[in-house]
Amino acid sequence: MPLGDSLPLSARSARAERADDMDAAPRRRSRSGRSSWERLAPLVLVAPAVLVIVVFRLWPLLLGVNFSFTGDGDRNGAAVGLDNYAELFADPLFLGALRNVVWLVLLLPIAVAIPGMLATFIYLRVPGHRFYRSVYFFPAVLSPVIVGSIFNLLLAFDGPLNGLLGLVGLGPVDWLGDSRVAMFTVVGVHIWATFGMALVVFLSGFATLDPALLDAARSDGASLPQVIRHVIVPGLSRTIQFVFVTTMIGMLTSMFGLLYVMTSGGPGGSTYLPEYYVWIQQGQMNRPAFAAAASTVLFLVMLVVGLAQVGFLRRTGKED
Amino acid sequence: MRGARISRWLIAVPMALLALATIYPLVFTANAAMKTRRDYILDRFSLADSLRWDNIVTAWTSAGTARYFVNSVIVVAGAVALLLLLGSMAGFALSHFRFRGSKALLLGCLAALFVPFQVIMVPLVRTMADTGLVDTYPGLILAYVAQFLPFTIYLMASYYSTIPSEIVDAARIDGNSTYGVYRRIMLPMGRPALLSVGVLNALFCWNDVLIALLMMPSAEHRTLMVGVTSLRGQYSADIPTFASGVLIAAVPVLTIYLFFQRRIADAVTAGSTKG
Repeated sequence: MPLGDSLPLSARSARAERADDMDAAPRRRSRSGRSSWERLAPLVLVAPAVLVIVVFRLWPLLLGVNFSFTGDGDRNGAAVGLDNYAELFADPLFLGALRNVVWLVLLLPIAVAIPGMLATFIYLRVPGHRFYRSVYFFPAVLSPVIVGSIFNLLLAFDGPLNGLLGLVGLGPVDWLGDSRVAMFTVVGVHIWATFGMALVVFLSGFATLDPALLDAARSDGASLPQVIRHVIVPGLSRTIQFVFVTTMIGMLTSMFGLLYVMTSGGPGGSTYLPEYYVWIQQGQMNRPAFAAAASTVLFLVMLVVGLAQVGFLRRTGKED
Repeated sequence: MRGARISRWLIAVPMALLALATIYPLVFTANAAMKTRRDYILDRFSLADSLRWDNIVTAWTSAGTARYFVNSVIVVAGAVALLLLLGSMAGFALSHFRFRGSKALLLGCLAALFVPFQVIMVPLVRTMADTGLVDTYPGLILAYVAQFLPFTIYLMASYYSTIPSEIVDAARIDGNSTYGVYRRIMLPMGRPALLSVGVLNALFCWNDVLIALLMMPSAEHRTLMVGVTSLRGQYSADIPTFASGVLIAAVPVLTIYLFFQRRIADAVTAGSTKG
């Protein structure tokens, strides 16, 4: 039984009603004298999970923010106010990492449009759509380490891609060694590896689209671009919004493996992202408090970018 | 009609090319793994003349790959088992009972979903180090459980909320305690969701490199993905052996994908449509 099909929105309201019924149930039993062990059952069942999440996820978040205002090394543990942040924003490597975030935001529409277009074609049943669906999705299950390793071979200076370019008469490109190109190369590989995820999300969004609207548009003689603009985009606005936000979060938080394997931040620090910077300061430079400051900034960047996107998309959604 | 047919092919051709671009990198790697070093250097595009397994054997036996593989299996099995246990318990409790703070707990799980690992990794590793959990299997397992539990709880709660409460009530009338209802009704009935979420969690844990890198510093505890990155340095001049190592790390994932493709996609979209 597919999990996706079992989660219609209507299930949620049904669940809320049930929860009201359940509210009275435990109290009734407690009056009838069952043991407190039984009465506390829901709490007992939740407790281990809550403990793990609080201790290893939410508490570290507070700890980290607090930690970012202390010093490293000689000043270990001492309160240093905003010193770490001042140093952070004076570091060209970190500023470069933030500049790369701006590039990611600019490239984001491409990373969303590709799976969006492909999902549209698959939904409209181009020949072989079932095959495409499973082929496109498969890189999404590969580890960034595997993907990065494979592309290290493919993008080598004397590798297959440059060989292909040679065949069409173009000069070789130093994909990972040229500081103007490397960041785009890594983002390109990231998109290659993750567009299947977004594609599947788009397809599940299409499942909620009313086919009658498409038929109506077609019988009115709408062209494919018109159908996309006037039927599909408005109909899928929630899905598009979701894909925008998750793709952005993915770019900010799951490119570590690729950066680690493919460029190690190089050449000349041109492929740093905040998350990689945090790792270097923590793992290589042994400056945990400074790293905590960098990760706090990363969190704020994500929050700002995420909220800005939701706000922006909501506004454009209203215009339609 | 004729115009429509042409535009269909205009779409089909780039889609086929993209499918090729999706598959070819893996084919290239598998092909490279089947070549001798000499053949690879002379011509990296030609098909390997025969299925040679000696590179695979070298990659498996040398450089600790076998050991890393076992480490990965231990950690992934432990993490997935614990995730499914804790996730289904909490998911059942949060979907079928309303108690003081139950809404806040569900919201807390959702909020935890949006706290990325990079933001908490510094203090997390410190906490783990203070409690002696760094560089131990339980430590890495706990780190994975903490990382993927919010998502697991969320999906299990969504799934269990589709099971009518009448079933729970009936089981109670038959004399089950709440714990009995969980064990005898909810666990068996949750199998489809447990399988989907389990497969997805197994992929996440197997593929992770950042958490493993931080939590398992010593060589003997390395997981396979960290091992692959170290293979790269060792076999930089011997691409066929390196490609073999990559293939060894990819094969379990590809196998799972072949068998559970629909379930993975369903779990991804179940997490997405209401995330």
